[in-house]
Amino acid sequence: MEDGKFEYLSAVDGDPGNLIKGLQMVQSREGYVSDDAVKAVSEHFSTPVVEVEGVLGFYAQFKRVKPGKYRISMCDGTACHIKGSPLVREWLRQELGIDSGETTEDGMFSLETVACLGCCSLAPVISINGRVHARLTRKSLASILAKYRKEAAL
Amino acid sequence: MGIEFKLDGRTVTAEPGETILEVAKRNGIEIPTLCRDEKVSRTTSCFVCVVRDRGTGRYLPSCSSCPTQGQDVDASGEEVRDMRRTALNLLLSEHTGDCEAPCTMACPAHADVEEYVKAGCDGDFAGALEIIKRRIPLPMSVGRVCPRFCEKQCRRNIYGKPVAINEFKRLAADMCYDSYMETLPPLSGKRVAVVGAGPAGLSAAYYLRLHGAEPVVFDAMDEAGGMLRYGIPEYRLPKSGVLDREIAHFRRMGIRFEFGMKLGENLDFGKLGKDFDATVLALGCWGGSGMRCPGEDLATVGIEFLRNVVQSDCKAPNPGRTIVVGGGNTAMDCARTAIRLGAPSVTCVYRRSETEMPAEKQEVAEAREEGVEFSFLVAPVGLSERDGHLVLACRRMQLGEPDASGRRKPVEIAESDFELEADTVIAAIGQRTMAPAGIPVDRRGGIAVESGAKVMERVYAAGDCVGGPATVVEGIASGHEAADEIARDILGVDIDPVKPICVSRGEWQHLSKDDIVFARTETSDADRETLDTLPAELRKRSFAETTRTMTARQLAAEGKRCIGCSCSDKHECKLRKHASLYGCDPDAISGEKPEAGCDDRHPVIIRDRGKCLKCGICVKTCSEVVNRNLLGFKKRGFSTFIGTAFGERLPDSCSECGACVEACPTGALAWKKESGK
Amino acid sequence: MSKIAKLRVGMASCGIASGAEPVMEMLKASSGGIPVVAVGCLGHCYAEPMVEAVLNDGSSVIYRNVKPDKADMDNILSLGENGRFTIPPERAGRELVKVLALAGRVNPIDFDDYVANGGYDGLRRALSMTPGEVVNEVLVSGLRGRGGGGFPTGRKWSFLAAKKTDRKILVCNADEGDPGAFMDRSLMESVPHQVLEGMLTAAYATGATDLVIYCRAEYPMAIDHLRTAISQISEHHLDVLNGRRVTIAIKEGAGAFVCGEETALIASLEGKRGTPRFRPPFPTDSGYRGFPTMINNVETFGNVPVIMREGGAKYAETGTAGSKGTKLFALAGDLKYPGLVEVPMGITLGEIVFEIGGAERGCVKAVQTGGPSGGCIPAELFDTPVDYDSLKQLGAIMGSGGMIVVGNDRCMVETARYFLDFTHRESCGKCTFCRVGTTRMYETLCRIVDGRGRPEDIDFLTDIAPKIKAGALCGLGQTAPNPVLATLRFFRNEYEEHINRHLCRAMQCNSMVDMSIDPDVCVKCGLCRRNCPVQAIGPDFVIDPAACTRCNSCLDACPKKAIRRIARKEN
Repeated sequence: MEDGKFEYLSAVDGDPGNLIKGLQMVQSREGYVSDDAVKAVSEHFSTPVVEVEGVLGFYAQFKRVKPGKYRISMCDGTACHIKGSPLVREWLRQELGIDSGETTEDGMFSLETVACLGCCSLAPVISINGRVHARLTRKSLASILAKYRKEAAL
Repeated sequence: MGIEFKLDGRTVTAEPGETILEVAKRNGIEIPTLCRDEKVSRTTSCFVCVVRDRGTGRYLPSCSSCPTQGQDVDASGEEVRDMRRTALNLLLSEHTGDCEAPCTMACPAHADVEEYVKAGCDGDFAGALEIIKRRIPLPMSVGRVCPRFCEKQCRRNIYGKPVAINEFKRLAADMCYDSYMETLPPLSGKRVAVVGAGPAGLSAAYYLRLHGAEPVVFDAMDEAGGMLRYGIPEYRLPKSGVLDREIAHFRRMGIRFEFGMKLGENLDFGKLGKDFDATVLALGCWGGSGMRCPGEDLATVGIEFLRNVVQSDCKAPNPGRTIVVGGGNTAMDCARTAIRLGAPSVTCVYRRSETEMPAEKQEVAEAREEGVEFSFLVAPVGLSERDGHLVLACRRMQLGEPDASGRRKPVEIAESDFELEADTVIAAIGQRTMAPAGIPVDRRGGIAVESGAKVMERVYAAGDCVGGPATVVEGIASGHEAADEIARDILGVDIDPVKPICVSRGEWQHLSKDDIVFARTETSDADRETLDTLPAELRKRSFAETTRTMTARQLAAEGKRCIGCSCSDKHECKLRKHASLYGCDPDAISGEKPEAGCDDRHPVIIRDRGKCLKCGICVKTCSEVVNRNLLGFKKRGFSTFIGTAFGERLPDSCSECGACVEACPTGALAWKKESGK
Repeated sequence: MSKIAKLRVGMASCGIASGAEPVMEMLKASSGGIPVVAVGCLGHCYAEPMVEAVLNDGSSVIYRNVKPDKADMDNILSLGENGRFTIPPERAGRELVKVLALAGRVNPIDFDDYVANGGYDGLRRALSMTPGEVVNEVLVSGLRGRGGGGFPTGRKWSFLAAKKTDRKILVCNADEGDPGAFMDRSLMESVPHQVLEGMLTAAYATGATDLVIYCRAEYPMAIDHLRTAISQISEHHLDVLNGRRVTIAIKEGAGAFVCGEETALIASLEGKRGTPRFRPPFPTDSGYRGFPTMINNVETFGNVPVIMREGGAKYAETGTAGSKGTKLFALAGDLKYPGLVEVPMGITLGEIVFEIGGAERGCVKAVQTGGPSGGCIPAELFDTPVDYDSLKQLGAIMGSGGMIVVGNDRCMVETARYFLDFTHRESCGKCTFCRVGTTRMYETLCRIVDGRGRPEDIDFLTDIAPKIKAGALCGLGQTAPNPVLATLRFFRNEYEEHINRHLCRAMQCNSMVDMSIDPDVCVKCGLCRRNCPVQAIGPDFVIDPAACTRCNSCLDACPKKAIRRIARKEN
């Protein structure tokens, strides 16, 4: 663990009652709650690690995996679902080797499923770092991912 | 200052702060609970302990509700039972595991396979025999002739060959049978007539004696054994070396036999009713079915052929060129016997293809090795005599749609008739019961039973004469059931009517190696030991037993291959206990199971998520009693599970504590089973 | 000189989502010195972004669907006739705006604006009475909990007031999580001081020392406004009650619907997993860290200043025998005017749906109240008065105020499935009946909707639903079966049709529907073919049912309305 990485936790009183607040702080700063953060939070709030993990897993707000450089949100709203979002998920699994909630080993892409991106008429859609890519096909998806890889290499 | 309230109509008093569950316990009223453990703070999660407030009609978890003055609480009415049953059924619907091992479930006699395999593996064959005989009183025979239902369901089939389970019975019996004696209860004075000394009759007599009754076994033949003696050939089951020894034990138990007594001839059914407190009909299936074609009388009936060979002490005349019609085990027995009698050729004619043959694969293979030829998709259409030999007119068949049995039905091919010549044609097509007049029979000629084994007041039936020809072990199971029913109905023996429920992961065909929970400290990956079998050339010329009993060393190796599929907690599991008591059915409510997953990384503790009730007793035991915090809830909702920090394995030090293992109401936290020594 | 004294822009979440921010910017730039203020929500979501021009004489003109362009700015500043917003005439007289009186009228974070409009008058009046008299005033008002349960607020207050301890906790439950409900968000965003005034009044009446607002993290604007309001309260020393300073804190929820449940909320406040526990002990006896704790909903607190201003007796003049005052509803679904409304208790469902919501008569088959915890009420029963007891009798509940209008083209089984999908995912996983029971119900509903229903499925649902209600630990589980029970009660035929005939009369369930082009109406323009994502429409304008995913792209694209969803022909 980098020394002092989570020093900002000291802004919150170490009372175990503030555990969720502490976790929210980590989540908003880091974008996720890493194992190291769990240890730091466990220490700061005098709460066993296993209990910290229990709280993390209970609330939908918390993410345990570092989001990738490019965060892919795959829409699984009703419209996308019927227009083949399960297929898109399978394509992404093949292209990137990750499933929803995971990040590629090189930290480039992370994938999450979201309820609805509000672009139902363009289904199926994904958004990458907020930018919507619509009417996906296997081919267009591959070229989109290639574009981001190229961009990252520059 | 006590609080007075009504519990199941009785006025009882509670101390302030006392829960309804505690008051009930103090007053001898049993309320089931899974999530309440007095050593830790309450959770109120399982809701199996619900009681009903008669005033408001509301259901309350009794583990957490304190009674109020004047409250009227129902703790055992049908409505309450229904709620508890539903809670238990819901828990069962998310429960993954095997209460019993699949081998035991597959065994018609429900023998405790895992236990006797373990005992045998440890070299304790007397102990193994004791376990076997609780369910199988003819282990020497079954150890040789059983088609091994158990092995067909063995999970080792997923990766390799099954454990050689049946060989354990054979060696245990060969080693210890003669010196073994059950502890016999004193005779109660009740007498039971058992008609038929085959597997079902012997089994009924055996368990009746263990229930304190005095059985007398009647048989039409001169010696005991039924099909074991007169149906199964010497080379599979030696008569003097094995069967006689096995039956001698029944005599040592004080069981009396009367031979040459045929029901409806010199044995009067009505008189049995007068002389005995109950009668068990275990008549077997001794009527052979014909080929249903012109000239069928010229054929020898299969079981009669086999009986003659036995009665001639295997010295029956050479049958010459032989055709055996049929594809079952009896057909194989006839064919292989004919070979041994010196038949220059033996052809087995079967109207479907090899896949549909009901005979055991092993039997077919060995028959082939011994020179038996097979002619599939051929049906006999007529038998006649010509120039001193027999001519079997045949027609070729093809497979059509599956029939009621699920096998594809043979359909005749037009103008495909041909002839086969032979000196002997044996019809080994089927057998049926020949019930004497006065006994009710069903559509197929078997004895009709009211329910279970009961035919009418004080009359019971067991074995082949009820459901048609079956295996030895099925006959034994049937005889045991009849004995238990008589014990309950007539002897007044208290046999627990509650059948324990069994949750199952399913048949191995639907599972992968990842689905197996390796609950033993070690499981050997070795291949199955091979059975020492006589070479075909020697087999053809002799009725000597074709295989040799495996050695203790071989069985020790086999025992280590046993995975130990059954739940380590099967005898203590509270979910199983209550679910059984409340008449639950693991399949009553179906649906997706939560993600299973088993952690066997600790040397002696196994954590099996699929069995977890999410009661949290382990979490609280670790934090509140042991003062560690090694376990905790993860995720939420249907995906909730109990895990460790960062999913790490439990530390070695848990071996000395194990408080969570002891507190877990199911097998979700369990000590690993010891592997064989 | 302009007749306009002030310009108000609706800048609650819904306004911003509709594009109020650029409108506000542009208005500021072009207003020529007329003050432009951000206000909360007027409740007319369908008309956002909205701008109100307050005239010198106190009257005002409201503009709807304002775009950030010069034409619209000029139109507003010249008080033009274009885009003027008027409340639909049929609504007039049906609504009764009391709790929301200041929403959209005052600047939410302007303390003085609130006070100038009668804010804190209620608290002042309360402080002039004894705490016991305040409790009594609330008792007399007949106010019942607006979070859904409907427990008499005054009685709850009296429980806490009776506790003789130094430290008592008062919690405002702002963890509004029902899909489609946003009454609390709107109140907190638009009039945060009103909520806080209610809390301070309650604290004075009950002797509470620690005030906590448990608010969903998804409501950043509400949290922001409340924070500002709390510091203003502190500046004005309004937090000194009974001679001592009370603390007011905001705790952000982290995304768990079950935390709307009292005991789960308390666990969450304590930094733990939000699992409920068995009651008793009730929170007023032993709550947050064992201290007596009282939890009221945002809207309940929002009613308190109204009661204190006009008096409990006057307040109780509105409503029915058992349900007093007004109720906020978030109207959504198949109707013309979705949005937030405030109506007197006792108004009929029909008046809300047709008159206020503008739904078309004959096109509505039911209304769902209480969100996933409530039930549907069929159109035949729309003369039912909206009060706690009448709705409960029909198997629905008042709930926190979500009201979804279900049109004829919606499937009731699918509606039930949708709600069970929500509840089973939000189950905390603690008790058997909720954790497993709701999951099994959900799976059964999925099966029916997918055309794999079995006749015994209805029996299973009928058997298990009341048992889950009776056997679940907390309100979430106890109410989760309601959508199923209500639809089974009023729309059993739809279940039977799905199972026995594979028919979805609403033509919603894809597994039972085919798309069909009427050749007599079709002009072969090709739009459908171009819009089909799976190339299921041939050059002959016949849809291949094997390829078609029933996504409605063609139906939406067809200019002639030649495409319909029809019952799938059984093979």
